[in-house]
Amino acid sequence: MVEKRNGPTNVLIVGVGGQGVIMVSKVLAQLCQNHGYEVKQSEVHGMAKRGGGVFSHVRYGSAVWSPTIPEGEADVLLALEWAEALRWINFMNPDTGTFIADTQRIVPPFACRARGRGEEAGYAPQTPEEIMAQVRAGYAIDATSMAEDLGNLKAANTVLLGALSTTLEFPVEDWLEVIRGFVPPHSIDINMAAFAAGREWAQAGDKRVEESAKGLHKADVELQQQVITKLEITEEWCKGCDICVKMCPERCLRLNEQLVAELPDPSKCTGCRMCEWLCPDFAIKITNTPVLEAAE
Amino acid sequence: MKDLEPETPFEINDYIRLEQMPHFLCPGCGHGIALRALLWAVHELQIDKDKLAVVSGIGCSGRLSAYIDANTFHTTHGRPLAFATGLALARPDLHVIVITGDGDSLAIGGNHLIHACRRNLNLTCMMLNNEIYGMTGGQVSPTTSSNRYTTTTPAGNTEPVFDACALASAAGASFVGREVTMQVTGLKNLMRGAIEHHGFSFVEVISDCTEIYGRKNDLGMSPEMMLSQKATMRPEAYRNTVDVPFRPNALECGVLTQKDRPEYGSAYREMTANLRAKGKQHG
Ligand SMILES: Cc1ncc(C[n+]2csc(CCOP(=O)(O)OP(=O)(O)O)c2C)c(N)n1
Ligand code: SF4
Ligand code: SF4
Ligand code: SF4
Ligand SMILES: [Mg+2]
Repeated sequence: MVEKRNGPTNVLIVGVGGQGVIMVSKVLAQLCQNHGYEVKQSEVHGMAKRGGGVFSHVRYGSAVWSPTIPEGEADVLLALEWAEALRWINFMNPDTGTFIADTQRIVPPFACRARGRGEEAGYAPQTPEEIMAQVRAGYAIDATSMAEDLGNLKAANTVLLGALSTTLEFPVEDWLEVIRGFVPPHSIDINMAAFAAGREWAQAGDKRVEESAKGLHKADVELQQQVITKLEITEEWCKGCDICVKMCPERCLRLNEQLVAELPDPSKCTGCRMCEWLCPDFAIKITNTPVLEAAE
Repeated sequence: MKDLEPETPFEINDYIRLEQMPHFLCPGCGHGIALRALLWAVHELQIDKDKLAVVSGIGCSGRLSAYIDANTFHTTHGRPLAFATGLALARPDLHVIVITGDGDSLAIGGNHLIHACRRNLNLTCMMLNNEIYGMTGGQVSPTTSSNRYTTTTPAGNTEPVFDACALASAAGASFVGREVTMQVTGLKNLMRGAIEHHGFSFVEVISDCTEIYGRKNDLGMSPEMMLSQKATMRPEAYRNTVDVPFRPNALECGVLTQKDRPEYGSAYREMTANLRAKGKQHG
C-alpha cells in the first residue's frame, strides 16, 4: 500500500500511443473524485498517432496545487510498455515508489538506427530481473499476453489497473464500477476478467518476474545478431534497372561496369530482403540462416 | 484463412519456368514485381501447382503466364476472362487466376470485365495498370493520365481516365483492391485475400512501364517512378485517419470492396444437376 504523508498521492502513467494510457488515468481520476479527493490530471499525447511517447500525471489528495509530478516523487509508476517504464523510472520516489510495468516491448524506429549485424540495439537492454532488483516494490507483469489469453490484447491496460488496485486504498467494487462506465458495453466482461487477473497476479507477491519474461530483451537482441546473411546475384538475369541499388535501406549495392548489381561489402547488408522482393527479374536471393543452424 | 503457414520459405524459382528465364520484360518493368507478389501469395496459400491455372491475355502483362510453372493459358487480346470463365465453370476444383493489362481488360476486353464482375464467378483477376499499351509500342489506354504523352497522343492525353476499381465494384465484383508495386508485401497480402475470396475478385496493380511511358513522359527510371507512385497513394491504414483533402488526388490502396454476393458457379452447378436429374426421370 502506498503510505501517504502530507501532500498528494502521485501516479505517473506512461506508454506509447494507442495503448489506453489516457483511459487508465481517467479511470483513476474519476475514482479519486468519487472518493471526495481533489484531483489534478495532466497529459501529453501529441505523438500518439505515430506511436510516440504518451504520459499522464494523476495527483490526488485533500488539496492539490500543481498538476505535474516532480521528478523523484511518483508514488506509483504505471507503464504500459517496458522501455517507457525505464525512461520514466527517475520520476519514481526511490524510497516509497512502486513500479508496475507491462513487459511487452514495442520497439520504436529510432531504436533500429544501427541495423547491421552485431550492432548494438538501441532498445533498453535491462532485463525485468535486473529492474526488479533495483526497485523498492515492483511488478513486471506480462499484461499484454494475459489480456490476449482472455481474448483481447487491448484489455492489457485493465490488467495493469488490476495490479495498481493492490497498491492504492480504494475498494475493488469502486474500481469496477468506474471501469464499467469507461469501456464500451460489449467489452465489459472481458475488462472485468482482465482487472481480476491483474489484481490476482499482483496479490501473489511483488518483485516477481513471469517465467516468460525472464531474460527478455537481452535474449532477443542476441538472437537477432546470430544470423548469417548470404546474398546471391544471378548475373545473367540482372538487367541493371537500378531498383535494388536505390531501394536498399543500407545503400550497400551498386551496379558494376557491366551494369550488373553487386554487393561490394557484404558486412553492410542486414538481410532485410528489400532488394530481393523488389527485383523485377528475380536476380537476387537472400538467405538468412541462424548461426545455430549453420553450425549443424 | 488457412491457419497453417507453409513450412518452407518462399522460393520464387520453385514457381517459374527456369528454362524461359531471363524473362522478356524491359529493365525495371513493374510487371515482374507483380508476378513475384502473385506467386508469393500462391505459396503462402499452399496451392498445389497442379491446381493452379493462370490465364492471360495479350500484352507485356499477358506474357507473364509463360513464365509460371503451372497450368497456363496465353489466350487472345481482351479475352482471358472469357476463357477463364469457361475453365472455372468446368473445373471448380482449380484456382483460376487471370493476368491482364489495362488495355487488355478495359479497352478491347471491357465488356468481358463488366460481365465477369456481374456474374461473380469464383475467379481472381490481376490487372497490371501501367497506363499504356506497352507491348505495341506505347499507345494511349483507358487509364492513361491526363496530359501524358503516348504515340497516339502526341500533344498530351485529353481523354478522361477510367477508375478500374470503381468500375469493377459498380459492376458487381465482390472483392476489389489496389496496390502499388513498391508495397510488394502489401500486394502479396492483397493477392492472398483476392485468391481466398469466394467470388469474383479484382486487383489493380499500379505498375510502371519505364521504357516507353516513363521515357516519353520524362518520369525518370523505375526507382523514381515507383517512389512517385507510392507517394501519391493512400494506404488502407490511413483511410480513417488522414483527411482526404490532405492528398486530394490520392490513390486509395488496399481492399476497397468486399461484399457477400451469390457466387455464380454454385448457381450454375445447381442448374446442371437439376437438368441431369430431370433427364434421368424422363429416361
Ligand atoms: C485482337 C487484337 N487487337 C490488337 C492487338 C495488338 N495488341 C497487342 S498487345 C496490345 C495492348 C496491350 O496493352 P495492355 O493490355 O495494357 O498490356 P501491357 O503491354 O501494357 O502490359 C494490343 C493492342 C492484338 N494482339 N490482338
Ligand atoms: S533490381 Fe534486379 S535487375 Fe534490377 S539492378 Fe538489381 S538485381 Fe539487377
Ligand atoms: S538485403 Fe538487400 S536491400 Fe537489404 S540490406 Fe541487404 S542488399 Fe540491401
Ligand atoms: S514495354 Fe513497358 S510494359 Fe512492356 S515490358 Fe517494357 S517496360 Fe514493361
Ligand atoms: Mg498496359
